[in-house]
Amino acid sequence: MDILTILFYLVTSVIIISSMSLVIVSNTVHAALLLVLIFFNSAILWLTLKAEFLAIVLVLVYVGAVLVLFLFVIMLLDIPVKKKSSNKLYLLFSVITSFIMFAELYMIIFYHDFSNEVTTNVASNLNNTYEIGYKLFTQYIFSFEITAFILLVAIIAAIAINLTQRERSLRQDPGKQILENKDSRLKVIKGDEL
Amino acid sequence: MITMTHYLVFSALLFCISIAGIFINRKNILLLLMSIELMLLSVNTNFIVFSHYSSDITGQVFVFFILAVAAAESAIGLAIIVSLFRIRNSLEINLINKLKG
Repeated sequence: MDILTILFYLVTSVIIISSMSLVIVSNTVHAALLLVLIFFNSAILWLTLKAEFLAIVLVLVYVGAVLVLFLFVIMLLDIPVKKKSSNKLYLLFSVITSFIMFAELYMIIFYHDFSNEVTTNVASNLNNTYEIGYKLFTQYIFSFEITAFILLVAIIAAIAINLTQRERSLRQDPGKQILENKDSRLKVIKGDEL
Repeated sequence: MITMTHYLVFSALLFCISIAGIFINRKNILLLLMSIELMLLSVNTNFIVFSHYSSDITGQVFVFFILAVAAAESAIGLAIIVSLFRIRNSLEINLINKLKG
């Protein structure tokens, strides 16, 4: 067994075991930390497939930003740790569904028999980041711009969702206070109008 | 010797585990969002495997786009969860029935 085989089995077994425990764990902080472990091991797996740029992006952007955001939200909300729902029907149903899906995928993979595919390693003198960048800024430049726009929309949506005023808040609004004048606050009522 | 089949079976297994996670985690919407992240990860692994074995970098470009969209999706999802927790004081999915769907 060469070192790559040992690394593959080690990394994939860590990912599978920790994803199974992520699915059944009830503490959300533990789940987020397990997700960190899964993403880190996936980055190692991507490195064995010679995708260095995406591996480091996965660690920096996903583990560094998205999962920290998850942990931030978990600790901000202070969710009470509850026991799992004791409904065994859903567990049975989920196991059956995922088992059927896996069996079908397995049959498709072995029907096509990908085991004879070998990588041809053309243009290996260019590094991975250069190749992705070249493709990204020539052929997929409009998709790249749309991605930037999607991120802008996500920023605006995330702010707009949480920027609602509380209904019974006692906060003062200086703009409204300045705009008030005597006529809007005082009203002279004659005696016969009562 | 690790062939392409090994990677594909691993990716399928990860996808099926996270499908089961979406069914099981009905008490916590945050765990459901994490299962979706896991599904996206297995899809990305599939993309990278095919990109590696067909010596075409385009698959990795698509993984880049998927990562960006997934980051946007989780940001909006977490914003929705925060505002939902503020009005319902709970994250249980079977209690979220404001839309009466």
